[in-house]
Amino acid sequence: MTAYLVRRVLGMFVLLFLLSVTVFFLFNLLPGDPARLTCGKACTPVIIEQNRHRLGLDEPVLTQYVKFVSGIFVGRTFAPNSPAPIVCNAPCLGYSFNRHEQVMTMIARAAPVTFWLAIGAFILWIFAGLSLGIFAALHRGRWPDRLVMGISLIGYSLPSFFIGLVLIFFVIIKWQMLPFPAYVSPFENPVKFLQTMILPWIVLATLNAAFYMRLTRNQVLEVFGDDYVRTARAKGLPERVVVVKHALRAGLTPIVTAAGLDLAYLLGGAIISENIFSLPGLGALAVGSVTNSDLPLITGITLLTASIIIVANLVVDLLYAVIDPRVRIT
Amino acid sequence: MLRTDVRLLRALTLGIAVALTLAACGQGNTSQSASQSGGAQQSTAPTTGGTIYILTQAEQFDQVDPQRAYTGEDLAFFGGTIYRSLVAYKFSADPIEGTSIVPDLATDLGTPADGAKTWSFTLRDGVTFQDGSPITCEDIKYGTSRTFATDVINQGPTYAIAYLDIPTLDDGSSAYKGPYTKVGQELFDKAVTCDGKTITFHLNKAVPDFNFTTTLGFSPVPAAADTGETYGVAKPPVSSGPYMVESYQTGNGGKMVLVRNPNWSQASDPYRHAYPDKWEVDFGIDPKVLDQRIMQSSGVDETAIQYGNIQPENLSIVFKDQETPNDQFAGRAVSGFDPYSRYYWINVNKVTNVKIRQAMAVALDRAAIRLNIGGAFAGDFADGVIKPNIGQDYASTGFWTDMLGKKIPDAGDPEYAKQLITESGEPAPKLTFDYPDTPTNAKTVAIIVQSYAKAGMTVTPNPIEPGQYYSVVFDPAKGHEFGTGGWGADWPNASTVIPPLFTQKGGWDLSQLDDAALNAKVEAAQVELDRATQAGLWQALNKEAMQNVWVIPTFFGLSQTIAGTKVAPTYRWPAYGSWPYGDMYVKP
Amino acid sequence: MIEPKAVIERPFLSVTDLSVSFPTEDGLVHAVDGVSLSIERGQTLAIVGESGSGKSVTAQAIMGLINRTSANVTGEIWLDGQELVGMPPDEVQALRGDQLAMIFQDPMSSLHPFYRIGDQITEAIRAHRPVGAATARRETIEMLRRVGIPAVERRVDDYPHQLSGGMRQRVMIAMALINSPALLIADEPTTALDVTVQAQILDLITSLQDEFGISVILITHDLGIVADVADEVAVMYGGRIVELAPTSVLYDRPEMPYTLGLLSSVPRMDRELPERLDPIRGNPPSPINLPPGCVFQPRCNYFDRVPDRACFTRRPELLPSGPDHFVRCHLQIEERQEISRDVLRILAGGSP
Repeated sequence: MTAYLVRRVLGMFVLLFLLSVTVFFLFNLLPGDPARLTCGKACTPVIIEQNRHRLGLDEPVLTQYVKFVSGIFVGRTFAPNSPAPIVCNAPCLGYSFNRHEQVMTMIARAAPVTFWLAIGAFILWIFAGLSLGIFAALHRGRWPDRLVMGISLIGYSLPSFFIGLVLIFFVIIKWQMLPFPAYVSPFENPVKFLQTMILPWIVLATLNAAFYMRLTRNQVLEVFGDDYVRTARAKGLPERVVVVKHALRAGLTPIVTAAGLDLAYLLGGAIISENIFSLPGLGALAVGSVTNSDLPLITGITLLTASIIIVANLVVDLLYAVIDPRVRIT
Repeated sequence: MLRTDVRLLRALTLGIAVALTLAACGQGNTSQSASQSGGAQQSTAPTTGGTIYILTQAEQFDQVDPQRAYTGEDLAFFGGTIYRSLVAYKFSADPIEGTSIVPDLATDLGTPADGAKTWSFTLRDGVTFQDGSPITCEDIKYGTSRTFATDVINQGPTYAIAYLDIPTLDDGSSAYKGPYTKVGQELFDKAVTCDGKTITFHLNKAVPDFNFTTTLGFSPVPAAADTGETYGVAKPPVSSGPYMVESYQTGNGGKMVLVRNPNWSQASDPYRHAYPDKWEVDFGIDPKVLDQRIMQSSGVDETAIQYGNIQPENLSIVFKDQETPNDQFAGRAVSGFDPYSRYYWINVNKVTNVKIRQAMAVALDRAAIRLNIGGAFAGDFADGVIKPNIGQDYASTGFWTDMLGKKIPDAGDPEYAKQLITESGEPAPKLTFDYPDTPTNAKTVAIIVQSYAKAGMTVTPNPIEPGQYYSVVFDPAKGHEFGTGGWGADWPNASTVIPPLFTQKGGWDLSQLDDAALNAKVEAAQVELDRATQAGLWQALNKEAMQNVWVIPTFFGLSQTIAGTKVAPTYRWPAYGSWPYGDMYVKP
Repeated sequence: MIEPKAVIERPFLSVTDLSVSFPTEDGLVHAVDGVSLSIERGQTLAIVGESGSGKSVTAQAIMGLINRTSANVTGEIWLDGQELVGMPPDEVQALRGDQLAMIFQDPMSSLHPFYRIGDQITEAIRAHRPVGAATARRETIEMLRRVGIPAVERRVDDYPHQLSGGMRQRVMIAMALINSPALLIADEPTTALDVTVQAQILDLITSLQDEFGISVILITHDLGIVADVADEVAVMYGGRIVELAPTSVLYDRPEMPYTLGLLSSVPRMDRELPERLDPIRGNPPSPINLPPGCVFQPRCNYFDRVPDRACFTRRPELLPSGPDHFVRCHLQIEERQEISRDVLRILAGGSP
């Protein structure tokens, strides 16, 4: 177990290293010239060269990469020879010349927003998806099943932005039941936090809940046909025990695994919800960085989200081994 | 059934569009009618107090630094609230009056001397920064000097570098490198001189409209507060206007809050009204939500205004036609020219034969393209690069009516295009079209490909990541035969249109023109002292550009925007194609 | 003073006219159609048939494992004086694992993969008896030892995947017998196992049966394993019993052509199958569109010996053919006995 863990963690760092190399070099291969972008309307080759130098883009990509990585550990100074150098303390993920802020600062500000958004939605959708999915499975073929599957189909076919816009239009604009969303930390103002987050949570949870209803129902039904569930019944166990202890335990394992990865994916940012509800999360930051061709920010966010996914993968793998004794960790 | 309906709808839309264009042409001046549409009926006297909310999809201001701000809306907003300049544009919906200048920090509109090669301005008494310290000639001089630090203060207007009498190095850059390195400081000190309250600019050539130029990048900055790259962002900038920045946070949910500047006095600033107590700019609002909020206009949105444009799908709800809002939105929805002329540039080094370039213009199905980008709401058909809302420099070129030998229908004339290709003595060209990769553009390109194919020309679409578009096409190695472009005048003088577009020094020469004779003609127009004569020269150059088809003019862009029910006045300020921020108040 | 009602003498388990049908989108599936059988205490009944013959559904109906919301179950099942078909589900549940026990074909999939085998057995104990965890564990270990699990103290905390197939089936048997049931239903208990292990498991079942005095219903498709184990054999086809007889009778004088076919299919080490005998051609009937006449007719070699095309038009009844011997066939008794003799002679290696 320990050896496995050490190996996996080491592998993770190797992966992160390869990822950072790929991301860094890939983004440098993109067409277009970041130096040109900082040059505005009236641009001369001289200014472009100046800016290229100031952004450190005139150095070989390898040098840039080494500086980037060392910046993470020891910090760095941008445009050191310019009249107005910019100090970026470790862990320095880069500096956005577009937004005049350190990438780390921006990510640190955006990450909690996305975290709360993802966690809240996750709880909602797992609760709704699992309970309704199990409910449907237990009433297979009868009206509760059809009702739940109908809800699921609707939830599945409505695009997030549509649900979001409808909710905003009626709940906020028309009926004025909630104030306009404006993120505050839950520790600072819990009421305002909930008022802001409730609709995004619902929107974000809807699609996933619809999916998990279906998944759970099918998974439970499949497990209900499994031999060990029949064995549990043959033992004379009460139906509740058969369903919860025997059927669900086995049936939900893949669901929990999927949910873990879905959560990780969400932690990387929920672009549509964040934008509709003006939440300053990672998704919105990522979109902004792409539209502005803000290379340092894109690189930083890509690395961060990829790291989240990699770590989540490891966690899910470990979790899976804990749940299913057949998965041996050596 | 559905198909028929769609076709019927399209036919109707097209019909309306054509009718409107004809009507507009009949009036002779589209700009006037468009600019004034939806203008406010100022029935009540302006009142002081309240908060005006500015809702925007943008995640931040493009720039906050007074030497870097360069978009119309940013210039209009900051100019009306926190940054004063020597002169400023008059608040008026009228296209002539609204693009005329009035004194601001200066006591008058400036005094030219030496055949407009020297300009002097005298500062008003009692003008101060937000800390109460007086605004001096040195502050304006320092602010101006920042533009020269092109590695730090980038993306802003660079007229100071272009016009001030400072030698140029071999590489084309100025010998003065800005206030941070102070390299060549003595050259700058000679070009800009202070004498008490009088600041004098020594120019490298006659610039008859230099006082207009001073609205771009000549605002004062106190040297002690300058933080270079991060000025105005890391810490609030130093305000010279009636408001000051209380907080600024970018991104979704971000805000900029402006509160009253206690050290500003109306006596020293007769130009700005400073009616509301507070301005709040809310960033990162979803554009659909934004439209709905202001259309509904309840709660705080009663005093909200839109920074940006109404979404296409809401236009038919808000407007009866291209110009008139529906009754429900009367007096608060505005449709008018944006600052931009849109065109397809043609690289004259790659498409050398003028007949081919003419054929490219003639074959284009402009009607279909306009329908694709939103129909009449998107803009009028353009006949050149100079837009009518510039004022006297515009004159119809007749590009589509007679310049090309016959009237070219809106849907293009493939037969005539074929004929032009034959006349060129060259085979039908194979072309590549560069464009920013957006869904709308993709459809537009399909129309181009189709309409060119009818004339026997082959077009290969080359989509480019939107954020990278200009940086790619400006690279002579990467740009192709033709592509999309757009340009807006910096002030109401075609000196900010023709030189940038058609000379290498101008900075926006997508057509890659570099012709000595043309450069000389442009230079001559730039230094012409008589404004009316100058206007004639610009009109002639615009015509020459069209005769040679350096660009294919497409649309004079229109845009539509909306304000809440309790904000006034709601006219489109012709100077910037924006709200008249400094003139606005909250209705009681 | 009136006479007390005479107590009706019932066998330990008697099934009367049991029918199970499932409504499906394609129509009503008659999985079991009018099955009647009985078994005495300590006896073994084998139910033999191909897959789809209804033998497993019959067993599950007796266990009360048929989901009553998706199937119709009619008829009567009497177990030691209690009627099970009409009994409330929670009472049937109380009997399951206590009076009624069952083991299944695939011991790997029948054991829960996530729980230790010991825990799965104690769970069965504590579902029916209020005993402490320690006692239950002791009982479990004892039972595992009795079914022949080596190194029980260590194995009891193993997961199913850590055991061999035979060991798993022993665990299943231990689980089934842990509450001393009166009836054990073994549904194809050896099918998924190696040939060598099959005999051990069957031996185990019979020895434990003797030890505990329980009745066993052995469900199998393989007539070969029945001979040494069962007291009586019921052959099922198309949801019905087609022949019912004491084991020796069935082997010595089978009468139903289907039974003959099954006997012919039994692989034997000592001989090749004679070429003139093709065991049973064709496929089992679809349970939805059963033929109107004899269900076995399409696969029967002898239907042309029945006059008036009766095999095509009339369902044969299950009729006595001798003492304790019941056969469902339109053939005359003499004729089918003659056919039977011929087939058995060929099987024995003789000439017809």
